[in-house]
Amino acid sequence: MSASAPETPETPGPGNDGGPVTSGTPGTSPGTGRTIGETVVVDVQDLKKSFGDNHVLTGITGQIRERQVVCVIGPSGSGKSTFLRCLNRLEEISGGTVRIGDYDLTDPKVDINKVRRHIGMVFQQFNLFPHMTVAENIMLAPVELGNLSKAEARQRAEELLDRVGLADKADARPASLSGGQKQRVAIARALAMSPQIMLFDEATSALDPEMVGEVLQVIRDLAEEGMTMVLVTHEMGFAREVADRVLFMDGGKIVEAGTPSEIFDNPQQPRLQEFLSKVL
Amino acid sequence: MRETRFRTAVRTLLAAMAALGVLLLGIAPAASAATLAEGESGSGETYTIATDTTFAPFEFRDSSGNLTGIDIDIMEAIAEDQGFEVEWQSLGFNAALQAVQSGQADGVIAGMGITDERAEIFDFSEPYFTGTLTLATTEANAEEIAGWEDLGGKTLAVKTGSLSEEEAKAQQEEYGFEITSLDQTTTMVESVKSGSADALMDDYPIIAYGVEQGSGLVTIGEEIPTGDYGFAVNKGQNAELLQKFDAGLAELQESGEYDEIVGTYLGGEDDGVDKSSFWGLIVTALPALLSGLGNTLLVTGISFALAMILGLAFGFMKIASNPVLRGIAVTFISIFRGTPILVWAFFFYFGLPQLIGTPVNIWVAGVMTLTFNGAAYIAEIVRGAVQSVDPGQAEASRSLGLGHGKTMQRVVLPQAFKMMTPSLINQLVIMLKDSSLLLAIGFAELLYQAQQIYAANFRVTEVLLIAALLYFIAITALTQLANYVDRKVNK
Repeated sequence: MSASAPETPETPGPGNDGGPVTSGTPGTSPGTGRTIGETVVVDVQDLKKSFGDNHVLTGITGQIRERQVVCVIGPSGSGKSTFLRCLNRLEEISGGTVRIGDYDLTDPKVDINKVRRHIGMVFQQFNLFPHMTVAENIMLAPVELGNLSKAEARQRAEELLDRVGLADKADARPASLSGGQKQRVAIARALAMSPQIMLFDEATSALDPEMVGEVLQVIRDLAEEGMTMVLVTHEMGFAREVADRVLFMDGGKIVEAGTPSEIFDNPQQPRLQEFLSKVL
Repeated sequence: MRETRFRTAVRTLLAAMAALGVLLLGIAPAASAATLAEGESGSGETYTIATDTTFAPFEFRDSSGNLTGIDIDIMEAIAEDQGFEVEWQSLGFNAALQAVQSGQADGVIAGMGITDERAEIFDFSEPYFTGTLTLATTEANAEEIAGWEDLGGKTLAVKTGSLSEEEAKAQQEEYGFEITSLDQTTTMVESVKSGSADALMDDYPIIAYGVEQGSGLVTIGEEIPTGDYGFAVNKGQNAELLQKFDAGLAELQESGEYDEIVGTYLGGEDDGVDKSSFWGLIVTALPALLSGLGNTLLVTGISFALAMILGLAFGFMKIASNPVLRGIAVTFISIFRGTPILVWAFFFYFGLPQLIGTPVNIWVAGVMTLTFNGAAYIAEIVRGAVQSVDPGQAEASRSLGLGHGKTMQRVVLPQAFKMMTPSLINQLVIMLKDSSLLLAIGFAELLYQAQQIYAANFRVTEVLLIAALLYFIAITALTQLANYVDRKVNK
């Protein structure tokens, strides 16, 4: 992500109330070598979120471009998940604007259900539907939203399951799967509507350590295929490997943003230095 | 798969609704026919006649569960003679009087003594029977109690609001006994047999019939003439019916048919079944009890299907964001959870007709009573189940772009249904048992039939035991069935 103030999009600098200003230019990403597109997929301006008197997000500004992979790191309670959930309005937005593609999420006239079809989301707790088979989980949105016939949706489900390495689990119940398998099904389900962007909310945090790898591999494959993604994660090694940009959040704002090497090898802010000293 | 199950559930409910519709359709022509009949005169007319449930030998159920007795036979014979039809309403004495007053019935014949008080409210026919009262006690007590003079310091059971109560009060001062007023002859007999009263006083024909049926009592002392029994209509109404009754009665007395009818019940004829054994009792009682069980299951089934629909609606309204919907649901639930079922049974059957001006069919009143009560509880079950589905499930569905309705229908409800099934089965069992309360308005369900039977033969414990066994079997079978469906649907 390029967390950037609109008037000075090219100037890196320290944090202020609007968050740090970092570059997110199109071109070859220095971190991953990926080609970042011209198109802005997500445009966030001064996003604020409060639960009553609890100000969880105090003003976040930034953009995410096509094919960019952005990892959000930070201590617990820093607002990372809330930020992610504002991007598909699972949390109502208290202030500022969030644009996804051509849609303004804060415009009451926008049909949020339409926008969400273009945003895949993967949850920490998988949230697979236990009363449906694996294939039915994946088929639900395409069939219910009228995009595909049942037969087409079934075929799409099988393709997606093949992609996440679970071709043989189409007719299994979620309860019979391991955590890693569940999360891979959840990713396949989120991909069913061919989203423009994928959001991962601590997708590996609920997994046993030996299952983290298989899920990360699926995400890595998605990144290589050019999927635009925002990942809230505690996997620092993975963030360094896969991210084009890393955002460090604390106290409801972006404290520092940059390429993985800038963030992990040369942190500027004391809070980031302190955070990294604890987690690395 | 899910879709199919959801639709199956919906279809089942709709089918039940359709069944009620058919039922209501069946009632409507009957109701309008009755209304028409009032306007017509001449032959073929149908009158609704209310009577007591349990006043053998005047009215009671025979071994096949048919209403029979002196009153019934006289009325039927008069109807045949005068060319009209009788539709019986077997309600209990006080309810029968209320039914005539509220216009639910055209007349009442219920071993009803002609008194000045009653004559202010009703128009009476010529007397058709001259009543006497008798004292009775157990064979053991009979050794020390032989008549009024032995009652000093004893307790005498009498029937509430009847001539026996009046007579007892008149004699109380002279002989110095306690009076305990009870609602039914059965209860009076039981209290004497159990020792909580020492003797009872009731109409001679009833006690004599009971003695013959093996009640274990003996009559003591001299019979006291009490006055005459009459057929009654609401004051100033149905004069034509009253005239027909008087004319027909005169015919019966002249032809000797009257003496035949009375002789049948007080002469002690044997119907060929050894009633004294438990097996004999089962044989005689079972047909009536099974028909009662049928009605119990039917009224519970219809009510439960409707209560599911209402309960779902109110359950969702209670978790709606709209405060008006929420208010309606909360009000409905608290009213019907916070009041006894019996109150509503009386209200729908006796109160509502006076408000809307037309009689309410007993099935409609019974179904309404059970439905509204059940719906209040089901609404809470639904609310609880929906709220207990992991919010992450709805979030996952919403994040895929499914709207609130689709999310509910495809993701939340199927899981909620699975969770609420055990509570719903429980509610169904409770409703089946609660349906026995409808006996109070004369709905012919299982316990009502049991009451009818023991009221005629005074074998309370044995008959109740059989009824309880039938309830137990029905509920066990129903629970097993429900669990089986639950396993099939909620795998």
